[in-house]
Amino acid sequence: MRRSRRLHGVATCVVLVSCVVACHGPQNVLDPAGSPNRIVNRLFWSMLVVSATVWIGVVGAALWGALTRRRTTREDLEPVVDLPNDDKQRQTRLVGALIAGTALILLLFLVFDFTVGRALAEHPNRALTIEIIGHQWWWEIQYVDADPSKIVVDANELHIPAGEPVQVTLSSRDVIHSFWVPNIIGKRDLIPGYTSSIFLDADRPGTYRAQCAEFCGVEHAKMALTVIVHSRADFTTWLAAQRAPATEPNDSSTKEGQRIFLAGPCSSCHSITGTAAYGTIGPDLTHLASRKTIGAGALANTRGNLAGWVVDPQSLKPGVRMPSNQLAPKDLLALLDYLESLK
Amino acid sequence: MAGAILSACKGGRENATSHIGLVAATGPATAVGDTTTRFADDGQWLRPSKDVQGTRFSGLTEINNQNVQNLRVVATFSTGVERGHEAAPVVAGSTMYIVTPYPNYVYALDLTKPGFPTKWSYKPHPVSASQGVACCDVVNRGLVFDNGKIFFNTLDGRTIALDAAIGKEQWVTQVGKINVGESVTMAPLVVKGRVLVGVSGGEFGVRGWLKALDEASGKVAWTAYHTGPDKDVLIGPNFRPFYAADSGKDLGINSWPGDRWKIGGAGAWGWITYDPELDLIYYGTANPGPWNPELRPGDNKWSATLFARRPETGEAVWAYQLTPHDQHDYDGVNESILVDMPWRGQQRKLILRPDRNGYFYVIDRSTGEVLSAEPYGFVNTTTGVDLKTGRLQYNPEKATRTGAVVRNSCPASPGMKDWQPSAYSPRTGLVYIPHQNLCMDEEGLEANYIAGTPYVGSHVKMYAGPTGNRGAFDAWDPVAARVVWSVREDLPVWSGALVTAGDVAFYGTMDGWFKAVDARTGRELWKFKTGSGIVGQPMTYRGPDGKQYVAILSGIGGWPGAIVAANLDARDSSAALGFVNAMKDLPQKTTKGGMLYVFGF
Amino acid sequence: MSSASSSLVMLVGLLVTAGCERENHHFSEVPPTATPSASALVVSELQPGPATIAPKIDAPYDDNAYAVSEGKTLFTSMNCSGCHFEGGGGIGPALMDDEWIYGSEPQQIFASIAEGRPNGMPAWEYRLSTQQIWELVSFVRSLSSLNPKGARGGRDDHMMLKPPEVSTPKGKPKTASALPGTQH
Repeated sequence: MRRSRRLHGVATCVVLVSCVVACHGPQNVLDPAGSPNRIVNRLFWSMLVVSATVWIGVVGAALWGALTRRRTTREDLEPVVDLPNDDKQRQTRLVGALIAGTALILLLFLVFDFTVGRALAEHPNRALTIEIIGHQWWWEIQYVDADPSKIVVDANELHIPAGEPVQVTLSSRDVIHSFWVPNIIGKRDLIPGYTSSIFLDADRPGTYRAQCAEFCGVEHAKMALTVIVHSRADFTTWLAAQRAPATEPNDSSTKEGQRIFLAGPCSSCHSITGTAAYGTIGPDLTHLASRKTIGAGALANTRGNLAGWVVDPQSLKPGVRMPSNQLAPKDLLALLDYLESLK
Repeated sequence: MAGAILSACKGGRENATSHIGLVAATGPATAVGDTTTRFADDGQWLRPSKDVQGTRFSGLTEINNQNVQNLRVVATFSTGVERGHEAAPVVAGSTMYIVTPYPNYVYALDLTKPGFPTKWSYKPHPVSASQGVACCDVVNRGLVFDNGKIFFNTLDGRTIALDAAIGKEQWVTQVGKINVGESVTMAPLVVKGRVLVGVSGGEFGVRGWLKALDEASGKVAWTAYHTGPDKDVLIGPNFRPFYAADSGKDLGINSWPGDRWKIGGAGAWGWITYDPELDLIYYGTANPGPWNPELRPGDNKWSATLFARRPETGEAVWAYQLTPHDQHDYDGVNESILVDMPWRGQQRKLILRPDRNGYFYVIDRSTGEVLSAEPYGFVNTTTGVDLKTGRLQYNPEKATRTGAVVRNSCPASPGMKDWQPSAYSPRTGLVYIPHQNLCMDEEGLEANYIAGTPYVGSHVKMYAGPTGNRGAFDAWDPVAARVVWSVREDLPVWSGALVTAGDVAFYGTMDGWFKAVDARTGRELWKFKTGSGIVGQPMTYRGPDGKQYVAILSGIGGWPGAIVAANLDARDSSAALGFVNAMKDLPQKTTKGGMLYVFGF
Repeated sequence: MSSASSSLVMLVGLLVTAGCERENHHFSEVPPTATPSASALVVSELQPGPATIAPKIDAPYDDNAYAVSEGKTLFTSMNCSGCHFEGGGGIGPALMDDEWIYGSEPQQIFASIAEGRPNGMPAWEYRLSTQQIWELVSFVRSLSSLNPKGARGGRDDHMMLKPPEVSTPKGKPKTASALPGTQH
């Protein structure tokens, strides 16, 4: 008995702590960092408060009803033929008012919900369009521009400016994936052969974690997307840097690394703008070294992780499309030097 | 202009031995079209298109619409090769020259002796791996005779000059590299001491170009790329495009995403024509790569573009993009026929151009202004050409999309008409267009570029167009912009056309019939069944005996004939870029072959 | 335990283990290459002297549906389909028919992919891992139903262009009669 009470206490603590913790963080629906999540949160909290109030009222009334008329007399059990007129009217009015109140609340919810739905679907001025394409198991991100030569192709990191509505179009090259940035926007599926469109709008600079939210195969869990919200100035700088072709190798090691990259199997699947590598099976590596993670959030982008990833990605993310590469140690080091130079 | 033709033959050893002389034959009696006097005929056929203006019109009248039914086989010759024979035989003096598909044998046949025995033959031994970078059969579209030499290209990207008299190699220039997907299938054009050669490989992510080689030495005089910065495209201060969409700095870079222009296709494997008066060459560039347009946002210049250039320097004088941001492999390589004729009451220098995108263009060749662009068959992928902006108007419903199947897009990828050249008769003022009538289902796919391998990104499944016949041979009135008569053919008409002053038009069918029709009515006058399907170009000449002959190469192949030439499996609708689905019955109708047929009385 | 029930258990066990290979995911392993014995690669029926029998290497993945489907993905992404299309051929020869220019045995197909062939087939040895080539071998064999039915693909994710591999009738492999020079 005491043990179970202690267990109860621990469980309560865990729930309370996780509730508090859950209210903040880079992957949290209850910590809105931008619309549409803000709009949805407003709806959520309004509904929660109103519904909770109603629920408490109803439960309270039920309890009150259950707890007060305890005593039953003989008269009580006799069929009620007729109530006094006053009581009857009062009761009818009360029931009517409650029904009307409920209907009104539901109607208000309906209107609120509808306006939220509309607000999610449309935004008057969308300055920037970003195309997100799902692949097994990584994200291809294209920063669209009316001038095609200014289009930027990136992977597994979504960079957006704070305070600006961004149009996002979603599609998939293989199976159904789902785009979900808990802090900023709810789930939207990426469907092969179909392009859907959403907008999002981040409040303030910060880094958030997004996750594929539709089971898409063996490495579904390791299909994360880092969302980085910049200030407008930082975003402009970042975009300009991404538009530049890859850094030219400038010493013997990086030159050798580039040769290995282009001559070996790497260039069959990856692109590096400015070189003869135009593969589209794997992520574009033009600015690989500027990314925070590799393998779609599987590992931090460090030299050691990169080495492990190049040599044996199958043990780090089993089933990933990238095969294992047997490289001589000096070739691997040169390749790593080159990859790390791709700022 | 006849002078141009005469001078082209000057110095040819053939003329010394030829006894036909350079006598002007019957000119046009009642000219309604091009009224220039250049159609006087010397009886030779020095290049696949007959004249540099690309008319494929012969002034010879001995074979005419009254007696053509008496034609019979005079000689045959087996080429020893069983792939698509798309070339035209060429006659200079008393010798006939032919080039075969890969392995690109060249034969010189002596027309003075019975049975036309071989004078000499030449084997260039192209690298056999080049067959792996030829998108649509290992064809060759012909050789040219100029100044005592024979010029032709090999599949593995060499341009070769031979002494026409003895077949001795004069020079060999490597112009293409198969490791980046480059091959050469086109017939060169020789003007003003320049051998003009373009590259194939729009399905292999090449960076398209046209090169001019010095006729005497074979050295590359200039290279005009079809993507990239203006200096590579040879766009300079004298570039005056007619439409705003074609002007701007470095459009060959700015109309492509990233550096995809470096693998953007836009070869030049079709026909080049030349106007000696304006001193301009005209040719169109091929499709952008990959086929799937979603992978290359932008206009993708200078793919599917008509260029006017100076032959000596390569400098671009004007350009007009026929099919911006091509969605369906509508190359712009078709022939530009140059004629001078009255247009809306005014004598003008025109380009007549049945394009692959389905429109028959009439273009002012001195400015690049589009005067008319009307569909010459059923088109639903586009809705027309805006003559104010020059812009082709796409039908968004038929836009190719990644991962989605769009059905019933017309015309299909080979276009309303592919490379197969049409002919123009100044006597009737009509253009004789051999073409296909196909529609397709198409699905865009991801395309992965690996140098030397295909870069297409599209599933295609072709089938007969709305009228059920897969091909037609039409006479088109360029002024009225309408079909005057049409011969419906069950199979695509993949052979070239020939029209003569005897008012007879010739063409071949893929099941092997070589046909003569009345140029004024389209009535069938004569036909002969050759040993294999015909995808070649008919020609006519006056032999050393003074008599007129007609010749054609028979040998099925090419893109639609690959099902037979390469033993493809018809169960796969996407085989040969989707053409197999439309040609499932061809193996029952013809077999492989490679034979020259010469007809006369 | 009676002998009948023990043999039943053994039979079930056998069936279960036999069924395992179909869906076994081989993520990273180094299967044998086709190169150790040169005689495994002969493409000629004619051998001088008394006839010898070429030792065979079995395709490691012929009965593995996962590997065959990986091979199918590679077939598209490495542009094999650019020349052979969905098996009907175009630039390269048809693969779903019963004509085999360089042989239909797994090691012969392995050699065709790894070493290339003279009439246009590129050599993929330096671009693909041994495992990937074996996956391709099994997919190529599935195009003309040379591998077990259970491992063949049952549907396509794209436009319906041909019957799925599982419905392709099994063709008896024949050597191509045409000269390599005039054909791929």
